[in-house]
Parts: sequence; structure tokens; C-alpha cells
Amino acid sequence: MRAPVHRQVDSVFGALADPTRRRVVESLARGGTVTASGLAEQLPITRQAVAKHLLALRAADLVTATRVGRETQYKLRPQPLEDAVGWIQMVSAEWDDRLEGLRRSVEKRSGRSR
Amino acid sequence: MKLRDEAAPQQADEKAPWVERETLVEASPDEVWEALTDEDRLEEWLAPDVELDPVEGGEIAVRDGEEERFGRVETVEEAERFAFTWSRPGEGESFVEFTIEGLPGGSRVTVVETPTHSAAAGPSAIAAGSWGPALARLRRSMFLVFA
Repeated sequence: MRAPVHRQVDSVFGALADPTRRRVVESLARGGTVTASGLAEQLPITRQAVAKHLLALRAADLVTATRVGRETQYKLRPQPLEDAVGWIQMVSAEWDDRLEGLRRSVEKRSGRSR
Repeated sequence: MKLRDEAAPQQADEKAPWVERETLVEASPDEVWEALTDEDRLEEWLAPDVELDPVEGGEIAVRDGEEERFGRVETVEEAERFAFTWSRPGEGESFVEFTIEGLPGGSRVTVVETPTHSAAAGPSAIAAGSWGPALARLRRSMFLVFA
């Protein structure tokens, strides 16, 4: 159960580490379903660059592509982002517990040596 | 003595794309360092069974009941920085880094954990700190679309 989520989180974070790609995602979020040309009009990059970023987003499962006539329409998939956020919350809680244990362990000894 | 640092509040969860947490400890960086890099000390707080060769390239094994993680030490900078990778068998790998900062009366210990692929994809993007808020914003805009 956790293994695929971790791998997916890996690819979601990898895909979103690029600031231009995040702008593509934001445009998709605003636009609902759009084409690569439609996205290129909203962004200061070429249609080719948009296509490249869409490919990376599809690899991370963040975007689906549907062929409609001669066009390909792109749409966001929210689930991988939700899973990534879930991973962050789970790992954050784990580290909060461990750091509290670290603090106690260090302060116990520090007090003893004084 | 109460050691508090109100000027540097922890980031809210939804603003951290990778995980970054911190704690303030009433002890010197050297004392914290020992607890981070000594096997026996790690067993006091990290997991019941820890094996660690605390040199760069050394192995780390962390066992807690059924759960096992294995990895390799990446950075050893005494009393300042300690980093390693770890993963459960069959899972993706994470990069874990501790940073210790001396404060009047204590130390600040910060830990960062991030999946290694995303670390490889853009340490500069992460260092720029720009995509934490960006992820939260993306998440909000996606909720607007799909809610």
C-alpha cells in the first residue's frame, strides 16, 4: 500500500520541482480542460515547451490526455497531489515524534552531567 | 529555563513540499551530535535496533519491530550536519538531513526528509524555497476545480 504511494510522491515532487511546470499545472487548474496551444497562449513559453512539460506531468500521473478530433485535451488529476500531501503529513508527524524523543534523550543526559 | 524561538515558527504542513521539522534542545550541539551519530544513543529515540557506521558512505540500518529501513551515510560534519538516505525494502528512497545550530542556552535541530528523485530533480528549486507555498497554492486551485 505504501510502496506505490512513495514512488508516486517521488515522481509528483520531481515533476513539480520545475517552476515552469508548476505554472502549467496552475493554468490547467484554472482552465479545466485545455489544449497545448491554449496553454501556450497563457504562458510565456512555446507550444513545444508546453508539450514537453505536459509529457512530464503525464509521466507523474498528474495530467490525463484525451484525443478529441484533431486535438489533444489535457486535464489535471488531483489524486497524486493529494497523496503527496498525505505523505508529507504522515512523515511530518513521524519526525515530530522522533524529535521529541531526541530532545528528551539529550536533555536527560545533559542534566545528569551538570 | 524555557528555550523558545518565536521568530522562526515551523512551517505549516501544507506549505512544506518535502518534510522539514525542527526542535529546540537545551543542550550543546556536541551533545545533540552524540545522540544523532552514536548507535546506542540512536536506540534511545529513533528505533529499538539501530546499526550505524557514522562515516560518509557507511551503512545505516534501522529496525523497529517489523519495520526495517536501510541506507547509506551521505554527510558527516561534526556537530553541524548529518545526512543519510534510507528506504524500506522495495520502496522509494528518501534523503534525511539533520542540521544543528548552536543557540544561547541550547541548539536548534532541523530535520529534512525528501524523496531522493525530487531532490535530484532540483536542489536549487528546493533551496530557493519557492515551491512550498506553490504546492499549497496548486492544491487550493485544484480543490477549486474539483470540489
